[in-house]
Amino acid sequence: MDPTMGNPMVPMTAQIPGPVAQPIPLPVLTRDSYNSQSLGRSLNANVKQARVLMVGAGGIGCELLKNLVLTGFGEVHVVDLDTIDLSNLNRQFLFRHEHIKKSKALVAKEAAQKFNPAVKIVAHHANIKDAQFNIEWLSSFRIVFNALDNLEARRHVNKMCLAADVPLIESGTTGFNGQVQVIKKGVTACYDCAPKETPKSFPVCTIRSTPSQPIHCIVWGKSYLLNEIFGASEDESAFDHTVDGDNAQEIEELKRESAALRKIRNSVGTEEFAQMLFEKVFKTDIERLRSMEDMWKTRKPPEPLNYQELLDKAKSLDKEKVLKDAQKVWSLEENLVVFNDSLERLSKRVLESKSAGEESIITFDKDDEDTLDFVAASANIRSAVFGIDRKSKFDIKQMAGNIIPAIATTNAIVAGLCVLEAFKVLKGHYEQAKEVFLTPFANARMLASDKSREPNPDCPVCGVYQTRAYVDLEKATLNDLVEHLIKTNLGYGEKDFAISNEVGILYDPDETDNLDKKLSELGIKSDSFLTITDEDDEEPFVNVVIAIQEAKEPLGDKPVKGILDPEDVKIPLKPKKQPQPEPVATPTAATNGASTSNGQNGGVINLDGDEPMTTPAKTLKRGHPEDAEGPSVKKIKANDKAADDDIVFIEDSAGAIVIDDD
Amino acid sequence: MTTTTTQATETNGSGQEASHSAAGISADEIALYDRQIRLWGMKAQEKIRSANILLITMKALANEIAKNLVLAGIGSLTINDHAVVSEADLGAQFFLSAEDGHLGQNRAVAASASLQRLNPRVKVIVDTDDIRTKHSSFYSSFDVIIATDLDADTLNVINTATRIHGRKFYAAGSHGLYGFLFADLIEHDFIIERQRSNLSTTLGPETKTRSIVSVAPKEPDNKDSHIELVTKRELYSTWLLASSDASHLPQDILSSPRRKRAVTPILSCLRALWQFTSTFGVPPTGPELLTNHTALAAFTQMCSDKHKALGLPAETLRAELLRSFLQNVGAELAPVAAVLGGQLAQDVINVLGQTQQPIQNFVVFSGESMEANVYALHPREGELGRGLLPVTMGVIDAAAEVLEKEGQTTDLMGLGGQHLGGQQQQQPSSQMEGVEQQQQQQQQQQANGVSTEQSTGAGQQQEQQGSGAGNA
Repeated sequence: MDPTMGNPMVPMTAQIPGPVAQPIPLPVLTRDSYNSQSLGRSLNANVKQARVLMVGAGGIGCELLKNLVLTGFGEVHVVDLDTIDLSNLNRQFLFRHEHIKKSKALVAKEAAQKFNPAVKIVAHHANIKDAQFNIEWLSSFRIVFNALDNLEARRHVNKMCLAADVPLIESGTTGFNGQVQVIKKGVTACYDCAPKETPKSFPVCTIRSTPSQPIHCIVWGKSYLLNEIFGASEDESAFDHTVDGDNAQEIEELKRESAALRKIRNSVGTEEFAQMLFEKVFKTDIERLRSMEDMWKTRKPPEPLNYQELLDKAKSLDKEKVLKDAQKVWSLEENLVVFNDSLERLSKRVLESKSAGEESIITFDKDDEDTLDFVAASANIRSAVFGIDRKSKFDIKQMAGNIIPAIATTNAIVAGLCVLEAFKVLKGHYEQAKEVFLTPFANARMLASDKSREPNPDCPVCGVYQTRAYVDLEKATLNDLVEHLIKTNLGYGEKDFAISNEVGILYDPDETDNLDKKLSELGIKSDSFLTITDEDDEEPFVNVVIAIQEAKEPLGDKPVKGILDPEDVKIPLKPKKQPQPEPVATPTAATNGASTSNGQNGGVINLDGDEPMTTPAKTLKRGHPEDAEGPSVKKIKANDKAADDDIVFIEDSAGAIVIDDD
Repeated sequence: MTTTTTQATETNGSGQEASHSAAGISADEIALYDRQIRLWGMKAQEKIRSANILLITMKALANEIAKNLVLAGIGSLTINDHAVVSEADLGAQFFLSAEDGHLGQNRAVAASASLQRLNPRVKVIVDTDDIRTKHSSFYSSFDVIIATDLDADTLNVINTATRIHGRKFYAAGSHGLYGFLFADLIEHDFIIERQRSNLSTTLGPETKTRSIVSVAPKEPDNKDSHIELVTKRELYSTWLLASSDASHLPQDILSSPRRKRAVTPILSCLRALWQFTSTFGVPPTGPELLTNHTALAAFTQMCSDKHKALGLPAETLRAELLRSFLQNVGAELAPVAAVLGGQLAQDVINVLGQTQQPIQNFVVFSGESMEANVYALHPREGELGRGLLPVTMGVIDAAAEVLEKEGQTTDLMGLGGQHLGGQQQQQPSSQMEGVEQQQQQQQQQQANGVSTEQSTGAGQQQEQQGSGAGNA
């Protein structure tokens, strides 16, 4: 059989018009023929030599590793601390059922190696924040790819890549949405150039007294009720106390209520426990709330429930059948059945650990059926009290567990774009590197590509002057750093300045106690970052960030040595304060807009994982006016107004649910 | 027909019989598909689960499409290819591996084992026939037909069969950094769930191709609910029309100089590529062609003609772009296949779920500019959707029989010639086919770029015949 048969793209010579100078033999096609043909010899050779790092081997990571290996990147390092879970298998195609609980990095390496034996793959089953992955190590790579699912790790790699001056290709997906950007120090905006949304919290009164949406009841069940009865204490992170002052009296009442609830905790395991708890939170507390008539002038007042009446109605129900149907929205009676049954299961666990002499603390885990059942049932019963729609256990798992929907196709598209960006980076064509958003369901385009944003001069991360210093950690004091590095090498001279790290201020002109302490005593290690803030009012330097590096060889007479000679240090001055820029949509509005328009907003940064991430507000202005259904600031503002008390919760299929982070 | 089914067994983690809930999807499946069900819902998952899909030509692009569809949990995937695996195939096709002895094996057979392992719940069927030997009835057993990396004439033949049987058709091709997607869903309804606005939703056209056909409250019994279900319908054109000068860019682009300049010249290059391949029987690639000035000149002229026919300004078709395009013809790159295959598979999934706007009807991707622009390419006049009836069934089947009898796969022009030019010699075997045949001629006229007046006439005739055929 002719191997070219049926491949219409393989040329045959017969019918080509015109004269052929001389017969040219068909080249022998190899594994690399198409890469070489398309990319050209020079870029293809660059790819073959490139040593790259991929952080994360999950949804985007599996797809990205496949692309990198097929394209023939010389050496690919993979870092991931996670293990494989059943719910990964619908998209992380390098993993199969038999790999569950194994290391993502190691299994991904094994699976991807088959795609191209010429590529060297090195797997690290570890946390990218571990000390071994230091600046020096990072600077040995040509490109770093972020395929991460959380803000914290993204920020860390962003900062490290800036310090190492290695180009970073950053990507994220949520549902149908996704985005890719290239981060190159001094050339394009970094990950932190635009503010990121922080996880949502809720005013205490909304959760405790005036819920109006299912999510309020779910947060109540998860962060208040479950914690008061089974946890260590109230989960404060879920609450926003900024408006407490306006409701001082009600806050006091709520504190008394909580204290009373904690007393009930002592009855865990007794026969009356379920009824006591039910009557406390769904009757007594509700009756008190209802008596505050002012509160219900514009709202529908809550209806207290009668435990015995409800229990009688619930008697005929088949408990096992109810528990099995996670898709169904349970009736009030069915919720009571689940409430009682989950309480029994949780109480049993408490008694068991007590009899084993251990303290028992149960906290919410979306994969712990007992806690999920309890939160689902309590939330739904509370919803019934307040006339709010009830939700299925399946939906409540998503809202309480902060699950971000994730699919194979979005990850595949984003991972493909990452490698196309890498081609631009290898060519040094940063001006062609685009910031790309997926725009699913838009009429005119499936991708919104824009020039990379420029660095934000006020960015706390990259709007600084970065340098490194070698330090003898055993000898050097903070004073050595001030005298031998900052004043002389960096040229601060007699300027007033402050030194701080992530913990706080270590030194300023009024705070000199630490000067004689050794850096090691101050918790400063290799790869610690110190920020120098110029406190002069006139012509101050931008902030300087010093990455501390442990000296590998003796430094001579001084225990501190800057990486540059003083004449090569050129710290720019802080930009003069510009008039206030035009207001941009807030991050809250970004989430709102993204979710309410069927995911038709190009301006969402997302991720495949368990933590919501946000859009730089700036990107909202980057929509294309001709996209009828594309992003528009106007629309987003309207949505923002419509949302009551600053809670963003959209339940539509494409929407990311943004609540407190767990 | 050589068709084999690889291990299509219903398995789950524990090896026990899966317990099926009332919805038909077992708890195990819900756990496996959890993250996607949360995105598109149980109903869509059920529809996906029962879909039978045909995927033609198992190269890099199809590898990506197959991976995405099998992971999503479709009912069955039939992969068709009659070519054998070459060294070059190993470059971007991740189902293949030299160490597994795939070199020299049939491409579909070689890919099937790795594909099946992605999801044992999906039935993977291998078909090693030359697609051009298939009778039109072959296509009737699939819900969606996806044809990748084929020449324009073969795509036309397949699309004709999918039209006859009312099946949804996708075409896609990748050429190095560039590629395209095309959809002919004939007439596709989908339901958008949305917040009711102050103005009540009116039925009727939204765009040239899309209309709102019905609106209903999501919960008729709940007065407080502001969610409405809007049924929309998209109408499509055939590949023959959409890929040729018979179709035009939307008016809102043509009436804006700025937007015309933004139309990717790759669209003109692709149209020229199809015409060149159809005319000369080979694509403009390989060292022979790239040193053949006559061929190069012919291709350049075609690009320029296509660009002009699209109404685009000459200055946006630059020599360096033409060179870049030619350099990429016939090659495949993993990242580009990933982008295109992801977009196409996602559209198939959305079309099965019927809750999202599908592609209408052409996507051109450039890995150079990182753009994937969508162009609705339709004839200016005449009916769309079902109104565009297909050419006669007899033509393709006769062609298929000839090919099968001769046991050869000559160049595609033989088939294309028979199909496009040879219909006069065909004896219509029924009245119905006679009607279709006339329509084919009209479509062909349109495709050949007949004048507007003639097109209008054809369109009107077509409309009448369309309704007549519908009654028959």
